[in-house]
Amino acid sequence: MSARVAVITGCGVVSPLGRGVAAFWDGLVAGRSAVAPIRRFPAADLAPNAAAEVADPTPDDPDRAGAFALDAAREALADARLDVRAVGPARVGVALGTTLGGMQLFERWIATGDASGLACVPYYAPATRVARAVGCRGPVVTAQLACASSTHALALASDWVRAGRANVVLAGGTDLLCRFVVAGFNCLKATADRARPFDAARRGLALGEGAAVVVVEDAEHAARRGATVHGRLLGVGAAGDATHMTAPDREGRGALRAMEAALADAGLAPDAVDFVSAHGTGTPYNDAMEAVAIGRLFGPGRVPVNSIKGAIGHTLGAAGAFEAVMCLRVLAEGTIPPTAGLESVDPACARLDLVHGVARTHRTSVALSTSSGFAGANAALVFGRA
Amino acid sequence: MTDGVVITGGGAVTALEDAEAALPETVRARGARVERVTRLVLAAGGAALDAAGLAAMDGPARPRVGVVVGTAFGCFLTNDAYARRLDMGAAAASPRLFAATVSNAAAGELGIAYRLGGPAVTLTAGTVAGIAALGHASDMLRAGRADALVAGGADATGLGLSMWIAAGGFVRGAPPTDAATFVVLETADAARKRGASVAGTILGYALGFDDREDVAARALADAGVGPGDVACSVRTASHMLAAGGPHALRGALANAPRGGVVLVVDACTSGHAAALVARAA
Repeated sequence: MSARVAVITGCGVVSPLGRGVAAFWDGLVAGRSAVAPIRRFPAADLAPNAAAEVADPTPDDPDRAGAFALDAAREALADARLDVRAVGPARVGVALGTTLGGMQLFERWIATGDASGLACVPYYAPATRVARAVGCRGPVVTAQLACASSTHALALASDWVRAGRANVVLAGGTDLLCRFVVAGFNCLKATADRARPFDAARRGLALGEGAAVVVVEDAEHAARRGATVHGRLLGVGAAGDATHMTAPDREGRGALRAMEAALADAGLAPDAVDFVSAHGTGTPYNDAMEAVAIGRLFGPGRVPVNSIKGAIGHTLGAAGAFEAVMCLRVLAEGTIPPTAGLESVDPACARLDLVHGVARTHRTSVALSTSSGFAGANAALVFGRA
Repeated sequence: MTDGVVITGGGAVTALEDAEAALPETVRARGARVERVTRLVLAAGGAALDAAGLAAMDGPARPRVGVVVGTAFGCFLTNDAYARRLDMGAAAASPRLFAATVSNAAAGELGIAYRLGGPAVTLTAGTVAGIAALGHASDMLRAGRADALVAGGADATGLGLSMWIAAGGFVRGAPPTDAATFVVLETADAARKRGASVAGTILGYALGFDDREDVAARALADAGVGPGDVACSVRTASHMLAAGGPHALRGALANAPRGGVVLVVDACTSGHAAALVARAA
């Protein structure tokens, strides 16, 4: 592609720690966890029944995934001080990740016959809602890489900007909690009452919900309009495990290939990276796999690592976008949030320098975020300081 | 960076059971325990890899070969089956079904069967997802992130999808049918090095939203050609859902004169629109 550079000029989140980037960041730095017993829908027959729920920005809106995404997109646009009409609608795109789309409306239809929300069910629906609401006429695509979906959505945005297909892309992810997904992970025996990433006593993940959206913009376009740049999206990578549909490759080979690809795309060596945002679900297999892959790429204990899934739960198709926003704040603030829920590091993960207990002051120029999902999907992003 | 993206193989499936009969036993065995859209991807993607001479089925995963699947509805039929069981109570939740309620299951299965360790991507953009997949694959190849990607579109139909379409009042045109069409896209360098036969070259593409007229002009501009250069222009068959775009591309390339430029335009009632420009070999 060309020498165009993709930068981030706006961020927005609807998170279990609160609405807006400031509430999200403050909660992460304080080490808070939003995981609690589920209150929004009947969960008496669900065990475990704890998750990180969001206080709805628009409580009467039945399309929760779409509403989360739209609220986060509007915050990101406001943060970027960006007017879609001024950019030109055909030069603005939307790339979102999701694993569930409007699944709770599908559940409602099956349970009650209420067909009023069925247009919001398809996986592509949240992205089309955002596109229509903001007046975008450029590329609109939904990435579906399971729990790496929104990580790859940012990669799509980067590709479009670098190839000159768009000047601005709203990129991120959205997912919601409903019985469909909680019962599903429970029956796979992958869940626990609290998420304890990389802890010796970890038993599984706790689910979460919400949306995170960033404005990915062509650097020259951003400079012309005098935008504030939060960070540069230096590299993207993706790779398949090609081993198993639900279990990660024990050797972490797919995750390693995705991280190596992102670094190669960025033109950087591993020793340029100052911080790694791990996928860190809190399941025994995922965290052990990541310890192998991250340790192999960066060397034992060389780079600080955290996971935010103990704080906001595993937000599935939104997880990578939340972690992207966190990485951008780390680059700007020089502070790494602690891994909530981590108290005693598993010896199998001891090769990682895990940030836990309290936030760590750490000047960071380059951050890498890695995500992995069902069907062996892996994706990684490399961010640089503005 | 590469000097171009070429098409080195293709495969299409509409009659699934017939297509599966031609698959290697190891792939057929995988297909026996997965849902219909995954079976379609295994059959059409496998045929495309075979036609391109890239159908390795053992050994370590190949890091420079990957997959991009476009789908309008993905695992909808499994979602429907799983959700109807769950409606009877959490104890009825099926781990086997839930594990298949991810739209990228088909890409994962194809990757395992054919040892694809490069990018494993699934996209949806309504029924234009097949063209979106080809475009994204082209971008990744041009950026040097893979040497070859099997890319295309697939959707499976069945009772659950039909009930959703009827209940939502989404019936438009001919009823949807099972279909999958894939091509192998490869950097021109990689194809040349291994002496692969080339069916065409991807020149450019564009994606749009609520703007189906402009998308063709933008694709032509991306390709660096004008409307007068186009030898064959086709609109896709919407009943083939995400397979429609790649299917139209293969048909246009087969019928175009030698070196002729083809334009494929695709639009969905969701608002998604796409156009792709290629040159026949």
